[in-house]
Amino acid sequence: MVTLAASTRHGQRRRTRRPVGTSAGRPGIAWALPATAFFVLFAIVPLILVAVLSFASWNGLGAPTFNGLDNWNKIFDDPVMIKSLWLSVLLTALGVVVQTPLSILLGVWAAGSERNRAVLSAVFFVPLLLSATAVSILWRSLLDPNFGVPSQMQWLFGDGNLFGSQAGAIGVLVFVSAWQYTPLHTLIYQGATRAIPEVLYQAAAIDGAGRVRQFFNVTLPQLRNAIITSMILMIVGGLTTFDTVLILTQGGPGTDTTISAYYMYDKAFKGFDYGAGAAVALLLVVVATVISLVVVRVSGFDRMAGTQEGVS
Amino acid sequence: MVMGLSLAACGNSDSGGDSNTFHVLVYGDAGNKVENDIVAEFNKTSKVKAVLDTIPGADYQAKLQTIINTKQAPDVFFNWGGGSIRPFVKAGLLQPLDDMIKQDPKLKSMFLPSVFNAGEVDGKAYGIPMRGTQPVLLFDNKKVLAEAGVEQPKTWDDLLAAVPKLKARGVTPIALGGGDKWPTLMWFEYLYDRIAGPDLLKKALAGDKDVWASADSKKALTTIKQLVDTGAFGKNFDSVKYTDGGSPTLVNKGRAGFELMGSWYFSQQQDSAPKFAADGLEYTTFPTVPGGKGDPADLVGNTNNYYSVMKKAPHKEAIAKFLAFMYSNHFINAQLQIGNLPTTTNTKDALSGSSNAKYLQYQYDLVAKAPDFQLSWDQAYTQDNSTPLQTAIQQFFNGTIDQDGFIKAMQGLNTD
Repeated sequence: MVTLAASTRHGQRRRTRRPVGTSAGRPGIAWALPATAFFVLFAIVPLILVAVLSFASWNGLGAPTFNGLDNWNKIFDDPVMIKSLWLSVLLTALGVVVQTPLSILLGVWAAGSERNRAVLSAVFFVPLLLSATAVSILWRSLLDPNFGVPSQMQWLFGDGNLFGSQAGAIGVLVFVSAWQYTPLHTLIYQGATRAIPEVLYQAAAIDGAGRVRQFFNVTLPQLRNAIITSMILMIVGGLTTFDTVLILTQGGPGTDTTISAYYMYDKAFKGFDYGAGAAVALLLVVVATVISLVVVRVSGFDRMAGTQEGVS
Repeated sequence: MVMGLSLAACGNSDSGGDSNTFHVLVYGDAGNKVENDIVAEFNKTSKVKAVLDTIPGADYQAKLQTIINTKQAPDVFFNWGGGSIRPFVKAGLLQPLDDMIKQDPKLKSMFLPSVFNAGEVDGKAYGIPMRGTQPVLLFDNKKVLAEAGVEQPKTWDDLLAAVPKLKARGVTPIALGGGDKWPTLMWFEYLYDRIAGPDLLKKALAGDKDVWASADSKKALTTIKQLVDTGAFGKNFDSVKYTDGGSPTLVNKGRAGFELMGSWYFSQQQDSAPKFAADGLEYTTFPTVPGGKGDPADLVGNTNNYYSVMKKAPHKEAIAKFLAFMYSNHFINAQLQIGNLPTTTNTKDALSGSSNAKYLQYQYDLVAKAPDFQLSWDQAYTQDNSTPLQTAIQQFFNGTIDQDGFIKAMQGLNTD
């Protein structure tokens, strides 16, 4: 596809365009003002308020009273809090491990141009259109031990006590999230796969690479940026998962699926201990930020390196 | 939520100065039909008008908490008594009703004592009962019991003896929606009452943590554990819910024998399995436990809902007259019509004309005769305890924590 002539033309265009681009300049800081204003108003200011509230005791009645580090001492002594952080990380990690291979395979498959693939892809995307609440309620009923799927498949589910054990409940949460969110990531991989230049496959074929070889040596490396994008989305989404837990397990059995985001809600809006809730929220922000930074740094995403050096 | 709040907000904009209204805030649901009716009836004869505001949805308590100390606060509001108003009493927001009762003694004497008392905090009256009572009863599937040769249990031993017989027929002896956690709590509430008597919880609520480690408390826990270990609830009860219809369906389809549930169970079964509700559903009281300190006639459950009055409310005299409607015949008939059982002493006379008269009569007699009617623990304790309480209940029941773990968890509850 990319011929020598095309490549020369491309080179010429680049040369002629450069001075024009320089003279027009990049959009000034004024362009960023509206977005920055909204970000400050709806993200930074609330974050500061939450930080302040985390040093206060407030049950919603009357004015908050400052209590120094009480909330922080309380949550660091709280075994449920520490457990909830591990559970958040565990659920997120399981989400990445389960969804990434599935969505890469589906995305690469869906990138083909045959009509049946287009139709099936459309079907795959349906769960993405449903609200997480509706999906959770649906699966809660489907997984009822007496009248749902487990009662018909006892060879697999045993007594069907999926929500009664930690492993079972975590399994359900991971499965339902994967069922709902794999399509989103499939979409990312489908687009990224279609953007891989055909010439790479032609070259690989000439070198004698089969389909599997092509997948591992051409497709996967080319998808690197898509993988990082999708993983960051999964990590941020996973750490803030809330609705599926609220509806499917309510943090149970016991506190075995009480992840930090749910624990924050529980403290603040069920127990009316807004100070402790704010402390949990802030801790979650710190943990999520650290994890995101580490992922960005390790993956080299911040350098925004291309994957097609020397292709065209 | 936004709608409810803005409703309350605009409604109250005229409450300052010498306006002639007071605001009544209630939980928004089908029961509002009666509240609307009563407000209209009151406004017919009163110069000071009542205005009804509702907050729709199950998060009434959370939303109430956010507005109660603001300008948008109502003057009279719906609550569950006990722990649901204790923080407001502590914050000095509520008006003790003793003076109103002195003026109109019927505000107390017209209500069943066990119900009226549950609206008190620290010995002072803060609530007038304003909807229906919902005691917890032991329901069963008549046909399933008959096939297994089991009768409705009168004593704890009867119930224990029924378990292997029902299991032999391949049914779950007792259906339990453990996923919701509060159905499990009902077993604790009754067994603690039967074995230790109602005082244990009253002491615990007053701040005496030692009662949880008492011999009676341990005996109640041993008794609960014994029942669970017989397999009475099957193995997957924590995956079953009441709220999505899981456990009631087990009973109406004949796959479980018993279920312990609030009196609303009857109308739930009438909705989901009308035929079963008509001729297969039986009910009885919780079995007696020989040697226990509690009176076998004691009840647990939702005693009633209450109207409480804010200290800052204007027109207290008009409000007292409004509250007097809660024992009027008009109110009683309107509540009975929508299936609620009001708890006034004159309810009895109105019962015969209502649908489900037999069932309502049965409950009324139980409530009228009950020496003690314990409000559900999760409502008797303040809201901040509800998650730790329910977690401890579930974990002891399914064996995650032992007796000592449970006692420690209960001692950790906040009673300030």
